[in-house]
Amino acid sequence: MAQSSTLEMENSPSMERTEHVDGITPRRRRVQPLPYLLLVPATAALVLMLGYPIVRLLTLSLQEFGLKQQFGAAADWVGLRNFREILHDPEFWAVLRRTIAFCAVNVVLTISLGMAVALLLQRLGKGMRLMTMIGLMLAWSMPALTSTVIWQWIFDTQYGIANWVLGRQGQSWLSNPLTFYFVATIIVVWMGIPFVAFTLYAGLTQIPEERMEAAAIDGAGAWQRFRDIVVPALKPILLILTSLSVLWDFRVFTQVYVLQRAGGITRDTNVLGVYAYRISIGANQFDKGAAVAIVMVGITLLVTVFYLRSMTRQEEL
Amino acid sequence: MRIIRVAAGLAALTMAMAACGDDSKSSSATNAPAPAATTAAPAATDAAATPTTVADTTPAPIVGGTGEGGELRLWLNGGDTPDDFVKFAIGEFNKTHPDVKVTFERQQWTGIVEKLTTALSSSDSPDIIELGNTQAQAFEAAGALEDLTAQKAALGGDDLLQSLVEAGTYNGKFYGVPYYAGARVVLYRKDLFEKSGIAIPTTIDELMAAATKLKADNASTPNFSGMYLPGKNWFAALPFIWVNGGDIAVQDGGSWKGVLDSDQAVQGLTEYQKFVEQTSGAPKDGDDSKDYLAFCNGEVGMMPAPGWKPGQIINKDDGCPAMEANIGAFAMPGLTTGTTSPAFLGGSNLAVSAKSKNPELANELLKILVSKDYQKQFADQGTVPALKSLLGDITGSDAATAQAKAAQNSRFVPSSENWAAVEASNILPDMLVAISGGADVKTEAAKADAAIEQILNG
Repeated sequence: MAQSSTLEMENSPSMERTEHVDGITPRRRRVQPLPYLLLVPATAALVLMLGYPIVRLLTLSLQEFGLKQQFGAAADWVGLRNFREILHDPEFWAVLRRTIAFCAVNVVLTISLGMAVALLLQRLGKGMRLMTMIGLMLAWSMPALTSTVIWQWIFDTQYGIANWVLGRQGQSWLSNPLTFYFVATIIVVWMGIPFVAFTLYAGLTQIPEERMEAAAIDGAGAWQRFRDIVVPALKPILLILTSLSVLWDFRVFTQVYVLQRAGGITRDTNVLGVYAYRISIGANQFDKGAAVAIVMVGITLLVTVFYLRSMTRQEEL
Repeated sequence: MRIIRVAAGLAALTMAMAACGDDSKSSSATNAPAPAATTAAPAATDAAATPTTVADTTPAPIVGGTGEGGELRLWLNGGDTPDDFVKFAIGEFNKTHPDVKVTFERQQWTGIVEKLTTALSSSDSPDIIELGNTQAQAFEAAGALEDLTAQKAALGGDDLLQSLVEAGTYNGKFYGVPYYAGARVVLYRKDLFEKSGIAIPTTIDELMAAATKLKADNASTPNFSGMYLPGKNWFAALPFIWVNGGDIAVQDGGSWKGVLDSDQAVQGLTEYQKFVEQTSGAPKDGDDSKDYLAFCNGEVGMMPAPGWKPGQIINKDDGCPAMEANIGAFAMPGLTTGTTSPAFLGGSNLAVSAKSKNPELANELLKILVSKDYQKQFADQGTVPALKSLLGDITGSDAATAQAKAAQNSRFVPSSENWAAVEASNILPDMLVAISGGADVKTEAAKADAAIEQILNG
C-alpha cells in the first residue's frame, strides 16, 4: 500500500507547480519545500529498494564478476560480453521458450478457471458462497513455499497420496518434464485462482441485472449473454488480470525450485527465474546471471507497457 | 460501469506495485533456498533447520559465555556433529575465555554452498564454518577464508589427515583445517540376509546376486530395494565408475577433460544402471535424504551410505531405534575377492571467515575442535577423526569397522576450485536420474562431460 500512496504523492507537486506558474506574484512562484519534503521518504525508499538493485544488476551484467570479485577482487569491465555469451547459449533459448510456454498455459488456465469460479460464486446461495470464499482465501493466503512442499508430498513417488489414490505405486511425477510441469502448473494455478476469482466476482456484481434480463427476453442464450455482455463489461479487469498473471507466472521461482529439489532433472526443467539463480548463486557466475536477469526484466517491462497502453486506449474510447 | 473502472484502476495500481515490488520479490526468492532446504534434508537436522541457536531436541540453545569479551558464531552442518560434542567444545573454550559468547548455529548440507557464498561475503558473517571437502577449494581460491598457515602446527600439524589437508590447501597456503572424514560403506539388513541365506558379498557380481535375491524374496513389500539407489545419490555411483578404471574428469595439459564417456566409466555406469533397474525400488529421481525412512519401513535390503547413517536410522525422533540390532555394514567389494571398490572419501574442513571480527578467538576455538579430546568423540561414535593418531581408536559398530576398511581404498572428486559449481549445477544427479530412467548411458555421459568441462575450465 505504501507504493500506491507514493504514486499519488508524485502527482501532487507537479499539480501545485502549475498553479504557481499561473499565479500572480512572482514571490509565490518560489518553490514550497513541504511537498518535496513529504516526497523525500517515499523517493528514498524507492531509490533504495528499486533503484540501487537495478543499477547494481546493470553494472554486474557489464563486468566480469565471480566468486573472487564477490570477496573483494577488482571487477573488470567486459562490455556486452555476458549478453553475447548467454544469447549464443542454446540452453538460454530453450529455457526462454519453456518459460514462455509455461507462462502462457498457466495464465490461460488461471484466468479461465478464475472466471468459472467467479460465475459460480455469483450463482451460489449465501452459505455455499461464504464457504467457497473462505476456501479461496485459505488457498490464497498460504505461503508459496508451504503449499509447494505440501503438493510435492501429495505427488511423492513412494509415499504420496496421489499415487495411492490412483493405484500407481512408484509413478515418478517429477522425473518427466511434462508431468513435472503438470504438477507445477497445478500449484501455480491453484494459488492464482483466488485473486482472479474475487476480482472478477466483484466486477460481475456491477453488471446491471436489467441488461442481462433484457438480453434474455430478446432471446440471447447463456453463452451469448456471457460473450456479448459479461466479457465486454469485464474487459478492463480481464486485461489487467491477464497482465498481472503474465508478470507473476513469468517470474515463477519457488514452485519450480522446490520441485527440482524433490525430483526431476534440473537441466530439463529450469525456467528463467531459476536459471538465473542457478547461474549466479549456484555456479557463482554473478555476471552472466545478472545478464539473464536484465533480459528477464526487459521482457517483463515490455509486457507491462503493452498492457498499460491497451488499457489507456480503452479508457479513451 | 464506473465501479468497474475503479476496480480496473485499483488493479492497475496493484500492478504498478507488483512491478515495483520486483525487488522484494527477488530478495524473497534469494531467501527461498534456505527454508526450501528443509524439505530435502534429513529429518534429524530438520528440527534445527532454521539458523537459530536451537538444538535438535533440547529446547535450550547452545550458547556459552557472557559476551563482554567478544562474540563468536560457529556454523556446523548436518547431523554429523551431535549437540553434545558442541557443548563440550564451548565448555572447554569458556574455561579459558569465560567472557566470550559463543553461539552455535546448525546448518544444512543441502544448499550450503549458496548459503556460504552470501553469508561469508556479508558483514554478518559467521566466524567459524564447516565446508565439505569437495567445496572448500572454491572458497579458498576466492579469498573468503583466513590464511591459517601460521597456525597449522598448533592446529594438529602433521597429525592431520593428508587428503583433507589437501582439500584445505590452495596455492600452498593452508585455509581449511580437517574436521572429520568418512568413507561410504554398504549398510544391510542382517535379518533379511539370514532369512534369504545370503553371505556378505565379496565381489560386485556377488553383490548383484545378493541384491537380486533380496528383491525376489521380499517381493511382497511394496517399493522394496535389494540395493537402494535413488537417482540423485551420485556418491553411490562413483565406486562403479572407479572400480572399472574410469573417472569423472582428468587434467589434460592445462585444462580439464570430462571422461565419463570413456569405455571404463560407461561400463561402470551401465553396471550401476543394471543395479537400479533390477534391484532398486527407490525413486529414480529422488535423493538420499529419505533413505533412513525407507530403511525403517523395511523397504531396504542394502544401501550405500556414509558411516554415520546408522545413527540417523536409529534416531528417536523419526527413526527406528528397534532396528539397531539388524543393521550391518561392509565395505563395497571390488571386482575380485579380497578387494574393495574405491569408496568416495567424504569429509569436512573447518575454516575461519575472512570477515570474522575476532579471528584470534576463532583460532582458539578451532584448536579445541581439532584437539585430541574433542576428536576422540568422533572415533568413539565410529566417524573417522581428523587426527591420524586416533584412527586406531575407531570403535563401535560394524559401520565403523567397515568404514575403516573402505577408507584404505578411497577416492575423491576432481580437485578444482570450480568443482563446487559443478555440484551446485546438479550435473551428476541430472545424468544419473536420466540413466536410472533408462536413458542411453554413453549419450548422457557425454552430455555431462561437456557441462563439467565448461564449468571446470570456466
